[in-house]
This record gives sequence, C-alpha cells and structure tokens, in this order.
Amino acid sequence: MGGPAALMLTMGGIGRVIIAHGGDMISPDLNRQVLGSERVLGRPRAEDFGDYLRSMNQFVEVEAIGHEPNATEAAELAERCDIILSCPPTFEERLRLNRAAVEAGIPFIDAAQWGMTGTLIVVKPGETACLECLYPEPPPFEEFFPVVGAISAATGSLAALEAIKILSGTGDPLWGKMLTYDGYRGKVTTVQLQRRALCACCSSR
Amino acid sequence: MKIQISYTGRSYQTAAILPAEITLDDGGTVDDALHLLTKDLADDQQLPMSCLLAVSGEHIGTLASHTNQSLQDRDELILIAPVAGG
Ligand SMILES: [Zn+2]
Repeated sequence: MGGPAALMLTMGGIGRVIIAHGGDMISPDLNRQVLGSERVLGRPRAEDFGDYLRSMNQFVEVEAIGHEPNATEAAELAERCDIILSCPPTFEERLRLNRAAVEAGIPFIDAAQWGMTGTLIVVKPGETACLECLYPEPPPFEEFFPVVGAISAATGSLAALEAIKILSGTGDPLWGKMLTYDGYRGKVTTVQLQRRALCACCSSR
Repeated sequence: MKIQISYTGRSYQTAAILPAEITLDDGGTVDDALHLLTKDLADDQQLPMSCLLAVSGEHIGTLASHTNQSLQDRDELILIAPVAGG
C-alpha cells in the first residue's frame, strides 16, 4: 500500500517523495502494486516506481531507494523528511521506521492490511502512543496472507490523506488513534490509543 | 449486563466463532469477558496474545497485558488482531 500512498502524495503535489522498496517486480504482487505493471515484471521495483511517479507530476521530486532501509538509513532518511508513511510487510520494519520517526520527532503514519481489512495509526512523537507502545515485541511474522488490492489502495490513500492533512495543517488528523476498516463486514472502528509508560521507544520524549 | 463483542484485523473470520454479545454479572471485568469468550475455543482457534484490546473506543493494552477494568452495561469490547500486510 506504499504504492497508492506515494501515488496520491505525488498527484497531490506534495513536493518531494522518497520511496524505498526492495526486490524485483513479480506477478503475484500485481493485484495491489498500482505503480507496477506486466511491462516491468522481473525488473527492480523502486526504479520503475520512481519513473511512474515522476510521469504523474513533473513538479514533484521523486527519490527511489531500491532496498528496505536498515536502522541507520531509516534514521538518516527521517532527518531529511517531514513525515514517514510506513507500509512494509513486517512488524520489524514498521517498528524500525516508527523508532526513526520518534527519534527525529516527525509524524508517523502506519498503514497495514490483511485480506479485506485495513488499519491506520497516526503518531505524534512525544504526545501520542507510538507503534512500539502497542507492540513492545513484534507480533509473529506471517509469510503468506491474503491481499485484496482494493483495500491496499483504500488504506494507502487514507494514509496519504492523513499526511496531506498534517503537512498542510488542515482538518483533524487521527493523532493517537487507530482506524480499522473491516471491509469484510463493512464496519469502521476508531480506537483512542494509550501511551505505555515504559515504552522503550518514546517514553523519554 | 450485556457486552458487545467486536473482532477485527488479521484472521477476521475468527469473529464468526465468537458471539456478538455476551452477558456478564454486574461488576464483571475485561478478564471475565475474555474468559467467557475463549474458554470453548479449540487450540487452533485461540486469539493471538498480541491482539489489541479496547473498551468502547479506549485502548487498554493487549490480550497478554492489559488493564483489567470493570465493564458497564452496553460496553463494546473490541479485539484487533495485529495487521502488518504491506
Ligand atoms: Zn511508544
């Protein structure tokens, strides 16, 4: 869902987008990777995703990184960004990006999906719960899980909307909340998240 | 008192094996509700311990670690299994 999020930010004229994604484009991912196509199968994803984003808005600067950032790189990237949107497939990567955002003191939006359900968490470091407040330890990794492209696009777009609201100072961002859209039942749930006093990531901030 | 139950997130089909509403004695707590919900689940149906818990929109922790607060009639106990799909 990083693809639809990056696409909406680029089309919205966000200024500069840095997208990080490792690996080559593979056909099973075509059900949700809106920046890819059958034309680029077998090629490094980030490079083609960057080209596609640039083709959508000449006024937006796009930087494409062809691997998932490690902790050091994530911290360096956070220093160059105004906000981080977290859309990788593992909690380890999400928690790494959360920590980079908290340490840099910039907003963090976590967007995730499973089947027909999408979740969104919006963090204001030092003021609201961070991702590590919720998950001090990464929940078990699930290698194979269902993906419906429609929920990836919807959740990625909502993440972009939250970023646009925060960066433009418009509306009421979902600070400190988790929004869940259960598409299987057509039900929206919003939960006010609680900071954890002993959070190793954010409690000292 | 009546407590509404919502289960979502990963493996949301699990909701089909949980009741939409349970009845607790007055003064019943989150743990009383969780015991009632999970006591008849088979081993392969158990809820993930990293499931987030909320009561009527307020997050109270995870299944493994949460505030065992008293519930009120018509509270909604929300369980959100962790989701990390990109
Ligand atoms: Zn925290």
